[in-house]
Amino acid sequence: MKVRVENLVFSYPNFTLEVAGQTFVDARVTSIVGPNGAGKSTFLKCLAAVLPAPRRSVFVNGNDLADLKGRSRARHVGYVPQEPALSFNYTVLDFVLTGRAASIPVFSSPSRHDFEAAEEALRFVGLADFSARTYFELSSGERRLVLIARTLAQRPDILLLDEPTTFLDPRHEVEILELVRRLAGEMNKTVIVTLHDLDMAVKYSDEMVFMKGGRVVASGPPADILNESLLRSVYDIEMGILNVAGRRLIVR
Amino acid sequence: MNLTGKIRLLCGPALIMLAASAALAGQAGGPIKVIDSLERTVVVPAKVERVISLEPEITRIIVALGGGERLVGIDFFLRHHDRLFTLVFPASQDLPVVSNQGQDLNYEEAIRLRPDIIFASPSEFRTAETVERKMRVPVLALASMGRFQDLLAEIETLGRVLGQEERAARLTTYFNRRMEDVRRAASASAAGSRPVVYLTFWGSLVRTPVSYEPVDAAGGQNPASRLLPSYLGTAGTTVSIEQILRWDPEVILVQGNYPPAERRVTVEGVLGDPRLASVRAVRNGRVHYTFGFWYWWDPALVLVESLHIARLLHPGSLPAFDLTKEGDEIFKEFYGTDGLFSALGRVLECHEWNPE
Amino acid sequence: MSGTRNKKRTAAFILAAVLPVVILILSLNIGAYRIPPKAVFTTILGAVFPGGGNAQPSPYADILFRIRLPRLLLALFAGAALAVSGASLQALFKNPLVFEFSLGISYGAAFGAALSLVFLGRKIPPQAAAFVFAIVAVLAVLVIAGKSASHVVTILLSGVIVSALFQALLSLVEFFANPYALQSLIFWLMGSLAQAEWSDLGITLPIIGVGVTVLILLRWRLNVLSLGDDEARALGVNVSREKVVVIVLAALTTAAATAVTGVINWVGLIVPHLVRMAVGADNRKVIPLSAAYGASLLLVADDIARSAASFEIPIGILTSVVGIPFFIVLLKKSGKIWL
Repeated sequence: MKVRVENLVFSYPNFTLEVAGQTFVDARVTSIVGPNGAGKSTFLKCLAAVLPAPRRSVFVNGNDLADLKGRSRARHVGYVPQEPALSFNYTVLDFVLTGRAASIPVFSSPSRHDFEAAEEALRFVGLADFSARTYFELSSGERRLVLIARTLAQRPDILLLDEPTTFLDPRHEVEILELVRRLAGEMNKTVIVTLHDLDMAVKYSDEMVFMKGGRVVASGPPADILNESLLRSVYDIEMGILNVAGRRLIVR
Repeated sequence: MNLTGKIRLLCGPALIMLAASAALAGQAGGPIKVIDSLERTVVVPAKVERVISLEPEITRIIVALGGGERLVGIDFFLRHHDRLFTLVFPASQDLPVVSNQGQDLNYEEAIRLRPDIIFASPSEFRTAETVERKMRVPVLALASMGRFQDLLAEIETLGRVLGQEERAARLTTYFNRRMEDVRRAASASAAGSRPVVYLTFWGSLVRTPVSYEPVDAAGGQNPASRLLPSYLGTAGTTVSIEQILRWDPEVILVQGNYPPAERRVTVEGVLGDPRLASVRAVRNGRVHYTFGFWYWWDPALVLVESLHIARLLHPGSLPAFDLTKEGDEIFKEFYGTDGLFSALGRVLECHEWNPE
Repeated sequence: MSGTRNKKRTAAFILAAVLPVVILILSLNIGAYRIPPKAVFTTILGAVFPGGGNAQPSPYADILFRIRLPRLLLALFAGAALAVSGASLQALFKNPLVFEFSLGISYGAAFGAALSLVFLGRKIPPQAAAFVFAIVAVLAVLVIAGKSASHVVTILLSGVIVSALFQALLSLVEFFANPYALQSLIFWLMGSLAQAEWSDLGITLPIIGVGVTVLILLRWRLNVLSLGDDEARALGVNVSREKVVVIVLAALTTAAATAVTGVINWVGLIVPHLVRMAVGADNRKVIPLSAAYGASLLLVADDIARSAASFEIPIGILTSVVGIPFFIVLLKKSGKIWL
């Protein structure tokens, strides 16, 4: 298992995340879902080392995440945050190039190889022609794609995406999630996503992790674990599951 | 404008002041009308017993005229930064300080002291008006701005205000006589030669006064006299080292009116500065200290200064001239005490200043 | 559209490399002492290839090599230092309004100079004291910001606090200053290259040279750091360490320049912005171009300062008076987002 959690406990003043044990299936898409405040983002950030999880609680490729610093960590784990606030209007290519930071020595500039990695990442997300455009010109959906391209340029095994589809229109939502699937399928990345939209999560995940109140309530392939009583216990409202044209839809 | 032109220009207001005040002084025992440096007509009471002066030059003249005991307060500069004044008038140490470091009047202190008259600096027109309005006491804005004519006129005016006309007349006569010595020495030397004299004042090689009458009187030429001052109402401007090289002065005078430890520009420094190596003054070793001024003149010191410069510019023109002896004599004439210049000399280490 | 951008970029780079040198050579001809251009040329040749037949009258060599050249070199280096530091700190703090004096350096240096000019006399020259206290100010900022030194708001706030502290201390020193010292201090505060001497430059130029060079080497890194702490960290960068390195370099170069020239404002704010307007935000271009254009700007400003009037115009006033309106005009003209 590439990503494994053992007794992860992380506390905020008003909130504690407690995950006794969890593994994430390799080269597949796992989504983390749950109501607001369930701790999805916190969990993801602990996996990304954005939040400092305690030692011996998160393991990545066999290494204790707490032991992996800077560069070595960046080679294992790539984190795609929610849309960041950028102060400077970099070009798309320059923006994606920053993803190569872990591979470039401090006093150096990007090499031919780094440029290729960046361009390859842009191609993968379908923005090969966008190199010279500037970030502020892009639409929300394009910005998300560029963000993913940046993390791709980093070439990590494991990709963690935090709410990549918020505020996007349906078409872009689909575009992003299709891309996420391709990341797992074509590039064999282990992808972990937090999603708020249950339907999309069900459709695009190989496995799902349901969270509530800082704990994992259930995890596994949607086909196995998804049922109405689970939904009721996680979301505290009655929800129904419909089968429409071969797809499972959740209605409130 | 050359020296003669300047004197002509100055004679005008000076003479008006003299004439007007002379005409009005005829009323014995009554109040006098005085026209000050800002051309304000001020009515001064006949008896002036309690005096505050914010203009150091005026304070010095008041003391020279014997009016020292009428001072009820002292300004910040003279108390804290003027080495000479504490020697000249030791009693000033007991006087309350009536201004801050910007020479602004401390009104509460001043009101407490109930002055009959206040002397202000003419550098800012509104100062005099404001003080008069707030204190309801006559305010005279007087300063010579570096001009001998105005200095003499001030001595005369203050003589009238303080009722010391005789003493004032004696001092002005003495001043003119000694200044004649200076001018004689200047003209006695090689005819027509007016050496170019560069003055480095106020702690910086490139700060120089645009007008300095002691140099003019001693027969020298101040090359900066064609320039405008950096701030109107003051006498200083900032030049550049290139400009000094272009002027190529024959003599350089360094302001030394403060103790050696505080001097930023020194004679040794100038002589050793590689950038000035090609200047005539440096090549010939004609770099000397001089007194300079701060808040305009001290009447005794400016005489010593002029003699000192005359001797520097025209060596041999004033034989048997002992700076310390002459200085003591001049100071005794003005302030009535022996050895004042020697005392100043010890503070400033003037024994260094006698050229061999 | 990208074609025009590329052409603009190439032109900017070529101009940048050549401009400061050209301006320096032209500036050698400017000064109160008139030296005919031919004489300038022969004097320089004579120095570079000694043993030539013609011996120029000595004032020429003195003026060119003792007075003008040190001053021009100081302008070049100081301009580069201020512009590069400003640009680096802007990237680091993700804030286009940050400049090299945001960390309290200007008031720290001013206080140091004041201490020297007012109390320490000739024992400790103002340059040394200014440098020391500029560094003290930056250290104070880092200490006050503490663990959260990587957070933009905290460090800028600390900068404001430290600036205010040194400003108050400066006023205190001014209060006790005698009129002579006060005059010198006021002139120092307005900024001037007039007193540039080789003895000062012997220390200052190497420090600035090293600082600017290293910052230029870090130019791509600044792109990464400008994304923000969390993101840079996620990308594998040791944010705290690299940030401190940039801050220290910017501080050293600025302090070294300011200690000798006094406070010269606006260069570190305006030049990087102008460069970004022309070539975009990529620091691989912005940093080196800022060095070149900052150097050029200060050279031109100094030329004006010493030749426009019979007295020296303090250069800090010149950069403000010219820089601010120029900036406003450019700001209005470029309606597009240019950051």
